[in-house]
Amino acid sequence: MSIDADVILIGAGAGGAVVAKELGELGVKVTVLEAGPWYGNKQWKEPNQHRGSVSSSNPSDLDVNLLRHQYNRQENTMNDVVSGRFRFGPADRRQSVWYRNIPEHGMAWQASGVGGSTQHYWANSPRAFASAVDDWPISYSELIPYYEKVEHTLPVQFAPTTSKEELFYYGAEKAGWSLIDTLNPTSPGYRPQPNAILPPNERLMDPNTSLHQLSHMEGCTLAGHCINGCPYGPSVDKVAKRSTNVSYIPLALKTGNVEIRPNTFTTKILTENHPEEGVKAIGVKFRDTWTGEVGELYGKAIVMAAGSIENPRLWLNSDLPSNEWVGRGLTNNYWDWMTGVFDEKDLMRILGNQNVNPFVGHTSAARLDYPGLGSIQPSGLSPGLTSFLTFGFSQSGYASKLKQSPDVPWDLQGRVVGNELKEWMDSYRNTLSFLILTDDQPNKRDGVTVDPFVKDEHGAAPVIQYTPSKQDTKKRNELAKITADILRKAGAKKIIRTDWPANLFAHILTTMRMGFVVDTNCEAYQVKRLFIADSSVEPNSGGGVNPTLTAQALATRTAEKLAKKYFS
Amino acid sequence: MQATFRALTDSLVPSTRRIGYESPINITDMGVHEYLIYGLDHYIAIQEQLHHITLPLAYPTAIMLDEAATQLVNTGRAQASPQIQFPGGGMFSRLSREDRIQTLSALENLAFDLYLLPSPFQNNGGLIKHVIDALNRFAMFGYYSEWPAYGTTRLYPPDDRRLEFFPWGWQQVGYPGVSLGYRDFRGMLIEYEEVKAKEVD
Repeated sequence: MSIDADVILIGAGAGGAVVAKELGELGVKVTVLEAGPWYGNKQWKEPNQHRGSVSSSNPSDLDVNLLRHQYNRQENTMNDVVSGRFRFGPADRRQSVWYRNIPEHGMAWQASGVGGSTQHYWANSPRAFASAVDDWPISYSELIPYYEKVEHTLPVQFAPTTSKEELFYYGAEKAGWSLIDTLNPTSPGYRPQPNAILPPNERLMDPNTSLHQLSHMEGCTLAGHCINGCPYGPSVDKVAKRSTNVSYIPLALKTGNVEIRPNTFTTKILTENHPEEGVKAIGVKFRDTWTGEVGELYGKAIVMAAGSIENPRLWLNSDLPSNEWVGRGLTNNYWDWMTGVFDEKDLMRILGNQNVNPFVGHTSAARLDYPGLGSIQPSGLSPGLTSFLTFGFSQSGYASKLKQSPDVPWDLQGRVVGNELKEWMDSYRNTLSFLILTDDQPNKRDGVTVDPFVKDEHGAAPVIQYTPSKQDTKKRNELAKITADILRKAGAKKIIRTDWPANLFAHILTTMRMGFVVDTNCEAYQVKRLFIADSSVEPNSGGGVNPTLTAQALATRTAEKLAKKYFS
Repeated sequence: MQATFRALTDSLVPSTRRIGYESPINITDMGVHEYLIYGLDHYIAIQEQLHHITLPLAYPTAIMLDEAATQLVNTGRAQASPQIQFPGGGMFSRLSREDRIQTLSALENLAFDLYLLPSPFQNNGGLIKHVIDALNRFAMFGYYSEWPAYGTTRLYPPDDRRLEFFPWGWQQVGYPGVSLGYRDFRGMLIEYEEVKAKEVD
């Protein structure tokens, strides 16, 4: 049987891009299949309008001017979950999004395309808490060198302070929290976000250098568009926010061993029964999202990095050996969101400026870590995203209909609509919001199954369900109280707890866990030569911290183990 | 259907601040109801034998809102206005803003005879909750993002839309629009290399 590449890799997102670069550097030939478009590449000058080339493997195809044009930073164009450039759907935006059945309040917030969801991620890159990794089959100290390698490659830096962080630090100090100047928190405290964002250009505060010039130079301009897509930098590989399409993908292409094929949705893992190895992966079946044509590609090993929804769906739709933990044990950091409104005179006193301006600076540039509970992070978004995430997205229903206990330290809980919404939004520039990330624990009932009745063009559709445990809910409530206290101490006059639906899937992890579906090399127990390299293999939610850096550290390690086992 | 969605966005993101049953005056119609209809009609796509079908959800959603409103009125949980605010609309559009929200609330709590709802919502509580939640999100994102400023191109395929003016929603809240950068650098609290060096020690 002829081989198309040494390794067929499914997905060019947070994890896949890392594996491509690492294997490429070790001399392993890799073909990457990515379901979505490739922005910032000359082979697809109009990636949403025309089919373009089949693949690209040349770093000179990357073009920052194209990226700048396509990442236009407008929130509806970029972030609309139905028709935005960062939706989870085919490149051709006349077509509908790819269906996910979430039979509850909620949504799956993913992006297809080279770079995957790192295109819209906030680049927050903390390590998992060591106390959470204690429950893993590998040790924290074993992870450290891989963390360091990813932190060096991206690179990761502590985030700069802008107004919203200064307000947070002020409130956190007043509330009695201390700065923890560490990469490995073991006790509660606040710190700047370790972010995969280049430090501000040293001429940013020099009025003689125009912002237009700065946006073509190296370094973050504090433009506040992390979530809307960052196109700022002198070349694709030097763009300020280090999504994998600007960090690992250029490095992967540079090895000369990596070919990336966008617009290619993998629908099946092909296996054979080998007399010695048992069931082993030999290839994949795919579908071109423009033409509907299907094909097969064969390799000596297959790596799934399609994310915590598509990996189990792919396994189940490929009739791979039964494993009761495939798709199960999903965690999502059981997110919540809180917002405070401030008076201009208080802001003037604290910041020397009468507005918070949540749209300035990194989308999130600071955090408070609390091993055992999770973390909270001040965050600022553009107005459309702010409005629906703060006032339109709740499992508590409408705030006006909720009987609020007088003991809770926030003023409102649930959705706010109508004239009251307008009043809140009129204070947009004086709001500070917080994302709450819970140390939620994997439960077998939560996760991804496939719909027995409904198919899309790629096979049985995924059904996603998540119910937090009492313990998860308790931790989240504790974090909400801490957040309210910090907001109040910083001077917030009114506080809303949105109480996001439990079925919000943006951090989506632990559906193909190490120790349950894959071994410590992240090779499937039941299918040899099938590796998994993204957040789905994380054994737990890392203590309630952002999962990407950990997924990337594990992907680095997996690439090394894979190469050693099959290509040394 | 248009009238039902107009009534819906009027209760969630009113274009003018008015209450009760008064006639809309000086209403700047941002057309957000059309954004909802587009979103719902491009939300679920499935494969049936040779056909790849995009399931239009807007029409059954409008029927669902009217059916739920009728049930509320019939059980005395809401009152219909004799005045027509949204010509062509069904029962939902004849309720006060507050009763329209009450209808959404009752729907998401499944406090209805779900058998009377149209397909695909009939006896499908999961989908009802999912769509009611989405209506709120879509209405707010439609209103406060730049979508209304696509003006005459707002219903074109996404790649043919063009911004025709500065978005009203952004203007209302004081968002300056997309930016090349801001000179609000207030220093670094700690530096990665220093922290790492200290931890190696």
